Amino acid sequence: MRFGQSNLAFEKDDSNRFLPWLIAFMALLAALSVAGFLVLEQISANFEYNSQDSMTVQIPTGENSKADEKNAHKIQMTLRKMEGVLEAKRISHAEIRKLLQPWLGGAIGSEAIPLPQIFDVRINRDSTLTARKLVDTLTLIIPGTTVDDHSLWITSLVDTLQSAELIALVIVFLIILATIGTVIFTTRTGMGIHKQTIEVLHFVGAHDSFIARQFAIKAFLVGLQGGIGGVLLATPILYISEYILKHLEAGLLPKANLNITIWLGVSLVVPIVAIVAMITAQSTVMKTLKKMV
Amino acid sequence: MTEVVRFENVGLRYGLGPEVLQDITFSLTAGSFHFLIGPSGAGKSSLLRLMYLAHRQTRGFISLFGQDTYQLPREKLPQIRRRIGVMFQDFRLLPHLSAFDNVALPLRVAGIRESEVKRHVEELLVWVALENHMDVRPPTLSGGQQQRVAIARAVISRPKILYADEPTGNVDDRIAARLMHLFDELNKLGTTVVIATHNESIVSKFKRPVLKIDSGRLEIIRQKEELHKLIKTGSNLTSNFSDQNGASK
Repeated sequence: MRFGQSNLAFEKDDSNRFLPWLIAFMALLAALSVAGFLVLEQISANFEYNSQDSMTVQIPTGENSKADEKNAHKIQMTLRKMEGVLEAKRISHAEIRKLLQPWLGGAIGSEAIPLPQIFDVRINRDSTLTARKLVDTLTLIIPGTTVDDHSLWITSLVDTLQSAELIALVIVFLIILATIGTVIFTTRTGMGIHKQTIEVLHFVGAHDSFIARQFAIKAFLVGLQGGIGGVLLATPILYISEYILKHLEAGLLPKANLNITIWLGVSLVVPIVAIVAMITAQSTVMKTLKKMV
Repeated sequence: MTEVVRFENVGLRYGLGPEVLQDITFSLTAGSFHFLIGPSGAGKSSLLRLMYLAHRQTRGFISLFGQDTYQLPREKLPQIRRRIGVMFQDFRLLPHLSAFDNVALPLRVAGIRESEVKRHVEELLVWVALENHMDVRPPTLSGGQQQRVAIARAVISRPKILYADEPTGNVDDRIAARLMHLFDELNKLGTTVVIATHNESIVSKFKRPVLKIDSGRLEIIRQKEELHKLIKTGSNLTSNFSDQNGASK
């Protein structure tokens, strides 16, 4: 008897006919949820890495450009000397113009709209330096200087992203539960259909594990089939989603791409679904057979 | 002689229904040969089901090969069942498997190597004259051929006890006689044989002790001569006799 060939006539079992489709649908949902989780993880990690330790210092415009340069120099010197400041990078007017272009258009750079001096400051969060301390020091030098602590809004944004990640994980968990429920139901139905064969196997001396193994192998193969189908269906959906996200005008959000980690995570859906189906079928058969003589 | 089957005050009921077997007490020694007779609905099949561990008794004590079947843990049951061959009245062949695979089933569940399985099954199928039907599935076999497959499956693992439920029910007298000789041969090789039958001519011809069941109660008919007389007079085998040939009450 070849591997996978069973003593039970599964091919004549209607309960098994639709199981690969059901599992494929659940594997599709699981693959999309896993991809969603990993994309959100990637975005929040990027956010934290790029912006968590940064603050923006803004000096109000002076009387003329010479005064602006002088003020900027004073602030830069002060920042370099401050404990806890790792780096203080002055943003050029060209860069500021580029950043403001979408909002202010052609008016930018004219005398009518004077541009402030801006510093991108990277700080050591383990130090005692806070935005309050920084603003107190800097306003003594240039009154009206403001400090924008990115960590305040980034923390709440990352919290929101992590809540979305949690929701994605909960969805994956619910899909696994639904898969388990479906496999339990179809296995029990299958056992009813094959009751006489199971009786014969018992009479010829088969252990419960021998019978359970046949259901488990079948469930594993069906899980594998459904899992592969689901992941294949998910692939074009993920590519389309990536294309849409890349072309979205959301400058605030870091770009996410379908990297190897995401494809690996999505591919893992196939063996996980197959193994969950196999273990569920095995334990369902063992439990049900225990109730028999 | 070693006792292989022992029943003491055994009762059986299905659900909340009446007892279908009442106070059954008997024992079978190794290598004995018995017929099990009785009218339809008397409890023959129920008794057989208890004997091949398809049911648990409601009360009383059953021991198989010296082991209390009620106390036996579930995982030990297959070891006992592998020492019992059963030929069902309706054969219970698996329709999706070939004659070969049906006969091979007891060896495969016992984990015998495939080369051994092939050798034993082919040998046995030749012996029951089905060498040309090895790959044929049961639905396309005749009743007699199916019966031979069922017998081959029951004896392939050389069981210590063989139960056959109406083995001659679907065959002509010539094949019935051949089957009975087959059971007789197995018995001579040491297998304990119990045959449930309605066929009085076979019971009288083979002159073996009889377990008679009626209305859920068992009697053991021991004297061959009395049994003979009983059959000749057309009685429905209701009397109780005594002999010492393998069964004791």
